[in-house]
Amino acid sequence: MRYDNFICALLLAFAVVMAGCGGGGGGQKAAPPPPPTPTNANVMAITVNGALCSAATSANFINKPCVSVTICNPGSTTCQTINDILLDTGSYGLRIFKQAIPNLTLPQVSSGSGSLAECTQFADLSSLWGPIQMASVQLGGETAVQIPIQVIDASFATRPSQCSSAAADPVSAGFTGVLGVGVFAQDCGPGCASSVVNGIYFTCTGANCTGTTVPLVTQVQNPVPSLSQDNNGLIVQIPSVPVGGVSSLTGSLLLGIGTQQNNTLSATALLPTDPSGDFTTVFNGVTSRGFIDSGSNGLFIPDVDRADLPVCSNPDWYCPPTTVTLSATMIGNGGSPSVPVPFNVSNFNTLLSTSKSVFSDISGPSTFGFDWGLPFFMGRNVFVGIEGKAGLGTTGPYIGF
Amino acid sequence: MNLRPSTILLCLGFLSMPLANSRPAHATLGEKADSVEKDRKALSGVKTTEKASRTNYKIQEITSAATTLREFLTPDGVVFAVAWNGLAHPDLSTLLGRFDQEYKNAKKQLPRKHGQSRSAVKGDHVVVETWGHMRNLQGRAYVPALVPEEVNLDEIR
Repeated sequence: MRYDNFICALLLAFAVVMAGCGGGGGGQKAAPPPPPTPTNANVMAITVNGALCSAATSANFINKPCVSVTICNPGSTTCQTINDILLDTGSYGLRIFKQAIPNLTLPQVSSGSGSLAECTQFADLSSLWGPIQMASVQLGGETAVQIPIQVIDASFATRPSQCSSAAADPVSAGFTGVLGVGVFAQDCGPGCASSVVNGIYFTCTGANCTGTTVPLVTQVQNPVPSLSQDNNGLIVQIPSVPVGGVSSLTGSLLLGIGTQQNNTLSATALLPTDPSGDFTTVFNGVTSRGFIDSGSNGLFIPDVDRADLPVCSNPDWYCPPTTVTLSATMIGNGGSPSVPVPFNVSNFNTLLSTSKSVFSDISGPSTFGFDWGLPFFMGRNVFVGIEGKAGLGTTGPYIGF
Repeated sequence: MNLRPSTILLCLGFLSMPLANSRPAHATLGEKADSVEKDRKALSGVKTTEKASRTNYKIQEITSAATTLREFLTPDGVVFAVAWNGLAHPDLSTLLGRFDQEYKNAKKQLPRKHGQSRSAVKGDHVVVETWGHMRNLQGRAYVPALVPEEVNLDEIR
């Protein structure tokens, strides 16, 4: 960890020096530094648009946090280490493109007399289709765990209508895999165990797939609660980023909360979430639901008709003429605590015209609630407390920082 | 469209049945939805309740294991908007009906985006917006020309 901190300090110092140089100075772009080699078993390196992200999948993907995961055939030493796995606190479970694991033969999870498959739907209406298979998954230096994962394969059997536009390859998806480490242990939960939840799990015989119920144990599992230790949650550590951005960034994912010397940190705010993983956020006098999501690349805030927050020509983002500092209040499920969280919003078009890829100050309008995306994680230790697991003197689901 | 509303709903129900018995059938944007009682008979396994009645519109809620869907009806009973939240997005092609192709065409025109937990697709006559995260997917679709006057779009949730 000392090495990590040293690297972080170096990166920060570098960022500050670069920011001080002013814009328009030469087009030299430093090569991303190699990720540090974590020494503790419960540490995974994160690079934001750095060495762990594939250049091929990362075009037009700013603020992309990547990790590396090792996957093996269960009970075998045949393994592959896969980079370019999106670290996502807004989903649950591991999903990897079939193209990335050609050396593995993972056992298929059965469902009745057929094979279990899933259509994973995301909030942007993108989707991933493919079979559920057992894999031995190793996070950092932790003992590997055998859990169901989704092998993303748009050509598997016949895609249901909900997955008609499922991503065919890593380039179109923008990642080689997704590591969902949010507050829940399964990607669907009790709903899929008791009823056929249309659009999610399917049993496939030959090319024919029909909706099916799936017990919790064979649903795609968040690997963290399955670990033999350090399984009550995680801490995402991403260094702060100055206004104006940096080219890339290195951080750490600490497995476990208060289970080791390196993850015994205090949180100044601890917010219980509701059964959907959400909490209340108040911004500009408007109360809405909010969530933290490392897989969202900006802060997306309920649209407010503020003169200081004009949207860009691309209406996904805000383009204020100068950087504005705003604040929203997070409120835990149940009404407390109430925590003001300041944030900056700069002109998205101006930022995008630089050669930088990592920004703490990008934001856009949301039709619904407050999405605390990756900028929220910068400069903080963000705690993700898994449902039913004790940590920080409470029981998950909760988030802290 | 002079089909009797109950006919539309029944047809939707039958269309859905081969896929799964508990698949909720949804009323379609721009078409008429029938009364609560007729809906309930047509849609087995789906609970429909009248949620709210405002001066200029009515909300009818359909719940299934996956998703809660709210239909917004004009006083004439025409569905001008739908909103949902739950484990899965509803089948938009059923929901959008005659606006589905327009929606698909508009969606194709949009540049590919990464890292967004939301989408907004605006066609000439229909708007589809989504938001949320796994286990809590949300969205709404509406036909601006059918939205009664004085209805604030923020109410369509």
